[in-house]
Amino acid sequence: MNPLTDPSVQQTLKGVFQLVLPEIVLIGTACVVFLLGCLHNRRWLWFVVSLLGVVAAGVVAGVVKPVTPPVMTVAPIIPDATAAFVRWVAIIAAYVFLFVSWPEVDRTNAAEYYGCLLVAAAGVSLVGRANDLITLFLALELLSIPTYILLYLPARTRANQEAAVKYFLLSVMSSGVLLFGFSYLYGLTGSTNLTAIVDGVTKANAERLSPMALVAIVLVVAAVGFRITAVPFHFYAPDVYEGGPAGVVAQLAVLPKIAGFVALARVLGLLTAPRPGEPFHLPFEAGTQVPLLLWLLAVVTMSVGNVLALLQDNVRRMLAYSSVAHGGYMLIGLVVASSLPDAVTHQTMTVGRYGAMGVDGTISTPVLAAVGGVEALLVYLVAYGAMTIGAFAVVLYLTTPDRPVESIDDLAGLGRSHPVSAATMAVFLFSLIGLPATAGFVGKFLLFVGAFAAPADTPAMRNLYQSLAVVAAVNAAVGAYYYLRVIGVMYLRSPIRPPVSSRAVPTLIAAVALAGFTLFFGLYPQPLIKAARKAAPVPTVTKPAGETK
Amino acid sequence: MSDPLGLALTILGLLLAATVLTALLSGNAAVRTFVIALASPKAAAQFALRSELTINPLLVRAAHWPLIVACGASAVLAVQLLLTVAAAGDSVRFVSDPLTWFEAGKLKASFTFVVDPLSSIMLAMITFIATWIAIFSSGYMRDEHHRPDRGYVRYFAVMSLFVFSMCGLVLANNFLLLVGFWEGVGLCSYLLIGYYYDKPSAAAAARKAFLVTRLGDTGFILGIFLLWTLGGWHTDLTALFDHIQKNPPDTAALTTACLLIFCGAVGKSAQFPLYVWLPDAMEGPTPVSALIHAATMVTAGVYLVARCAPLFALVPDAQAVVAWIGGITAILAAFIALAQTDLKRVLAYSTVSQLGYMFLALGTMGAVAPVFAVTAAMFHLFTHAFFKALLFLASGSVMHAMGGVIDMRRFSGLRKVMPVTHLTFLCGAAALAGLPLLSGFWSKDMVLEALQLGAEGSHPHAGSFYLLLLVALVTAGMTAFYTFRAYFLTFWGEVRTPEEAGHHAHESPAVMTVPLLVLAVGAVGVGIVAEPFTHWFSGFLGHTPALQLAGRLAGAADVAHHFNWGLAGVSTLLALGGVGVAYMAYGTGGPERVPAPLEPVYALSRNKLYVDEIYYALVVKPAEWLAFMARVFDLFLDSLARLLAAVPRFVGNWVRPIQNGLVQFYALSMALGLAVFLSFVVFRISR
Repeated sequence: MNPLTDPSVQQTLKGVFQLVLPEIVLIGTACVVFLLGCLHNRRWLWFVVSLLGVVAAGVVAGVVKPVTPPVMTVAPIIPDATAAFVRWVAIIAAYVFLFVSWPEVDRTNAAEYYGCLLVAAAGVSLVGRANDLITLFLALELLSIPTYILLYLPARTRANQEAAVKYFLLSVMSSGVLLFGFSYLYGLTGSTNLTAIVDGVTKANAERLSPMALVAIVLVVAAVGFRITAVPFHFYAPDVYEGGPAGVVAQLAVLPKIAGFVALARVLGLLTAPRPGEPFHLPFEAGTQVPLLLWLLAVVTMSVGNVLALLQDNVRRMLAYSSVAHGGYMLIGLVVASSLPDAVTHQTMTVGRYGAMGVDGTISTPVLAAVGGVEALLVYLVAYGAMTIGAFAVVLYLTTPDRPVESIDDLAGLGRSHPVSAATMAVFLFSLIGLPATAGFVGKFLLFVGAFAAPADTPAMRNLYQSLAVVAAVNAAVGAYYYLRVIGVMYLRSPIRPPVSSRAVPTLIAAVALAGFTLFFGLYPQPLIKAARKAAPVPTVTKPAGETK
Repeated sequence: MSDPLGLALTILGLLLAATVLTALLSGNAAVRTFVIALASPKAAAQFALRSELTINPLLVRAAHWPLIVACGASAVLAVQLLLTVAAAGDSVRFVSDPLTWFEAGKLKASFTFVVDPLSSIMLAMITFIATWIAIFSSGYMRDEHHRPDRGYVRYFAVMSLFVFSMCGLVLANNFLLLVGFWEGVGLCSYLLIGYYYDKPSAAAAARKAFLVTRLGDTGFILGIFLLWTLGGWHTDLTALFDHIQKNPPDTAALTTACLLIFCGAVGKSAQFPLYVWLPDAMEGPTPVSALIHAATMVTAGVYLVARCAPLFALVPDAQAVVAWIGGITAILAAFIALAQTDLKRVLAYSTVSQLGYMFLALGTMGAVAPVFAVTAAMFHLFTHAFFKALLFLASGSVMHAMGGVIDMRRFSGLRKVMPVTHLTFLCGAAALAGLPLLSGFWSKDMVLEALQLGAEGSHPHAGSFYLLLLVALVTAGMTAFYTFRAYFLTFWGEVRTPEEAGHHAHESPAVMTVPLLVLAVGAVGVGIVAEPFTHWFSGFLGHTPALQLAGRLAGAADVAHHFNWGLAGVSTLLALGGVGVAYMAYGTGGPERVPAPLEPVYALSRNKLYVDEIYYALVVKPAEWLAFMARVFDLFLDSLARLLAAVPRFVGNWVRPIQNGLVQFYALSMALGLAVFLSFVVFRISR
């Protein structure tokens, strides 16, 4: 049949708009804010309008039932479980950022600020559901371009402007590399559709490893490495985090990371659920050096991030390097996810030892004895988002024009002068360390357990997964030093400069709410774990009952 | 509302609400003190001094109401719960819907609460006793001008949390949840024993209680991990027992697990060799001692072993260890109690001794039917809660009137000064001594009977039980003696009061005497009502599914509880004999006279068998020496660690110049990084 008149293709393409309704609501609200903002720029007005927009997007996301496109290989947008998870994260993040950014917004820039924020959130959400190279690239740019503007909007000083320019130049460069990689992928497979690309590369690599596909994926990893602040693509982070406005930096530390990791997982085929009855393969399995590359990237990133964070006296630079280090931890999730095919083989041999007996006499058991890489990554992204946004929110709350919070010494005696902000900051720092009873612990625990329980006897990786867990644990211990130093300064030293009472109440509310979130999911992580598990497809092995005993 | 789980959760909710409300009442001061106290007691002291003075005095005066109301309501609900469970008939167990807390691979922790006869009777006992202790406290925790004590609010906040934790512990049906509440009880006991934290001895006692029980907890937690691996990765008690019943593990492993669990009980229930914390725990306010010794904390260990009966029933060696530890503790503590001069210390050692009795009964779990053994232990726990709470509150009343003096050498003849206290103390003392027809008599008789049946049975350790029966009988005689020694020294003879009491030592106010009277009625009557003629208690506990399961596992024959005239006669004689000797020695009251030949024995008893000194020489001294050596070693390690820690800094300093702020350089490094990655891949492929 002529593909141009194939009804299922038509239906797939027509159904696209229905799948991005919440994003349309967000961007529509942003357009209204942008346009009318020229006429009447008021902080309160646009704050409320944006808030309503985000809430409306949430309502739409909750109400509209997704329709799975009939032909995946032409669908530019797919509504899978990961997409839903990322969308909720993006909407909630937008909601939080609206509150956090309160003191940075004034009557001259309110409309632009909030508009850009909504567009960036829509970008993150779209990255989660993009199933096409072009959609994916556009979604990533939808996130990047508002960030350039946001960095420049409250720019008052030379440092602000320098930060904005640096981020802009390097981001554009990484986008170029990304497009270069995408062009290879398109050239190799003849399609821009990710389902088709992943299928094609998987089949091709199963026969014989394609060198050009490797080059393409290395380019993509390098380009996305900029967004997830992987070493050596992290150089911009400390300078930009130090110079940029704190509220925007909080977005910069979180939103591109979410988008980058999800995009990488999507391109690497880690979010593609295996087809029942077929042997489970990934496009880039352990034998293809890509997991090894990611392994190296993870180790270098977390080590460099932590080591350099040790030396920082500036709070924001410290948080920047810490965000680099956390990018390294999260890369563990991708490395572990690539062990899935080995785990399937492993499990198929040993299934029945821990398998639960199904009603119909077959054994259907999740492949993983422990934790899948992607689900751990998603949990960590949420936990990391809460604690990092929270830490920047506290910094932002304490910053007043007369008394900027720059060096760690500026936080001295905070425990006495600002007990609430000090307590919330302590919660975030404890969570960043990964102490139990915080969400950070849950995330680290899942990542490390996943790495530790990955199959150890494969020819390609040998015991590299386990050693990754050990390296990460050592890094976490190093990291504890510089976080604890801040807590010590806050609680054990007397204030150097007299405290100024900040009036940014919404920021404080957001920080307290995030601290509550961090503690709640630290104490009762199951809902989060369950949501992440639902969002990350885990292949199941089904065998008839007779064969197992 | 008759849904048992709803009732149980309402009780927990009420107590939690009381905790939060009281904590809020203190303007967060109590909460903050908790947090700081965890880090540094010294800082907490300074902080609390500052903050507690700033609380609104009107609110302070009302601080006892949340606890009293919550406890009272809980007690009513708990009785209703008890009746519901009793009406529900045989083998009844209500388990709440599981709440999955954490799931990662094989580790899956689902929390459930369980309501069965065992937990409901504990719940009723705890809330009932706690109510009266709370009422008593509201009078006791004031000075002579009826002004609330400095830490009044903190006291009631922690008390609420204490009762809440204990109720949660009883209801928990999952080892992890149980440990959570178990530690909550430990924390509250630490905070309450160290209530007068500015007194060095109180701070030391609190630390001792926390550390010594922690020693046992370590074993407990290891035992849980071992059980987790033995029991098919279950932490849920019901599922764990079922699994162990279906796939009996290796006996040696299960014995180890049971003994490790028992370690926790030894710590919490103050058994030999970890009992040393309990006598010191009376540094806290007296109602706290009453709560710790009667309703909460020390009963947790007994309850834990009773709850784990399906495990202990399988391993005779562990049973023998439980029984022997109980026996040794019972007689050791009774001996130490003989010559103590501090009224509360006598009572404290008697608690240790009576807890030993309960473990004696639990130890017979395989020799007689587990249902019978556990019933004996729980019944003794139940009656003991009444008379021990009574005795402590009465001694608190004495202490209150004597201006904080509790040394029996410094007062006597209080019979006339404090008639109500005297009468109620007498009731409690008689019940503790096991005088016929009082509640202590019936429960002690049941423990003895369990031992006797165990000795007559075919248990591999039946011989031990003979010996232990003897030990228990001797202990009974000693108990009667030291109880009445304390009674006569305090209340008989000529009237003497210490100068701290002022010139007009008087009876305590009604808010303190009414709880005494209520508990006295309980101490006298609860035994005879609950068991000997109606067999209500044993019948009720016999419906507990876990105990029935234990019974099936142990395979011991069911014994109907029948009154054993011989045993009862002997124990009556011993009790009366003990009282008689005490009367002869101390009936005239006044200062203690010791017959010359017995002086060494007295010295031994008065100095607590030098156990603290022995521990000091055997444990603390070597530990200090070890600590010194460790410190030397530590200095070496420390310098090594510093050297290692310098490495990241060194590397950092070395890498740092790369971060030079030039955007061209950044772009170049990104490009170089990409080139390195590409060549890495190309190299790996072409190889």
